[in-house]
Amino acid sequence: MRRITAAVSLVLLLLVAAAVAEAGLLGLLVLFTSVLRLYLVIEIAGHYLQMSSLDVSSFLQVGIRNAGTIGSFLLTLACGLGAAAYRYRRWRPVA
Amino acid sequence: MKGLLRLYPRSWRKRYGAELEDLVDQTPGGVGVALDLVIGAAVAYRDVIAGNRILAAAGACLHGMCVAVLVQAIGFVTLILVAQRSEDPTNLGFGPFDFATVIRTSYFRLGEVQNQATLVPAIYTSWLPEAALLLTLALWLAVLLAAPRLLRRLR
Repeated sequence: MRRITAAVSLVLLLLVAAAVAEAGLLGLLVLFTSVLRLYLVIEIAGHYLQMSSLDVSSFLQVGIRNAGTIGSFLLTLACGLGAAAYRYRRWRPVA
Repeated sequence: MKGLLRLYPRSWRKRYGAELEDLVDQTPGGVGVALDLVIGAAVAYRDVIAGNRILAAAGACLHGMCVAVLVQAIGFVTLILVAQRSEDPTNLGFGPFDFATVIRTSYFRLGEVQNQATLVPAIYTSWLPEAALLLTLALWLAVLLAAPRLLRRLR
């Protein structure tokens, strides 16, 4: 039972960490949208998140599709997991 | 100044806290000592994390995620930079998957800024903001990649 609880906690922690990282990426995209004056549309499971400057018309329209959103989440998760697995396997006690 | 001692890990404070408190009492204080204490706390945390396999893996996981986010941000700005030069819509995809599309609009020739039709696009199609963003992101990525090595060097 303890092992199952630990495994579920680990998975939840990983998902939360990836979600926080993705929120950070979204923050960066909002910043870029403002700086580069883009019209940005992000598709998330059939819902659309649109961002643009009110006072300026956009020259570039950027659309991030569902596959991009999911791919970004999976890439972030994979990078985190890969780095953790690498460190876990190569860890040595500090002398 | 003693408040900065609370930045140290609890296990470290239990072992060396009293000694360090005495030492801080004897020093005149100032920005230099405060900075020393903050760097010392970072080193103490590094030792605690490096000494525990699970914590070390968790730290590496967070580091990997931060690197992934920065790489994706660099990819996004690069896509904008490439799309800005292209007349046709720019698609980013792999096999059957379509990740992103960038379309250039001709709004400026139709909208209320018709008189500035030649001037405004020239401002918008400048690659300088994208290049500045790319440079900043690349610098952040370099700092992030070098951070573990820099932390290991701290004594």
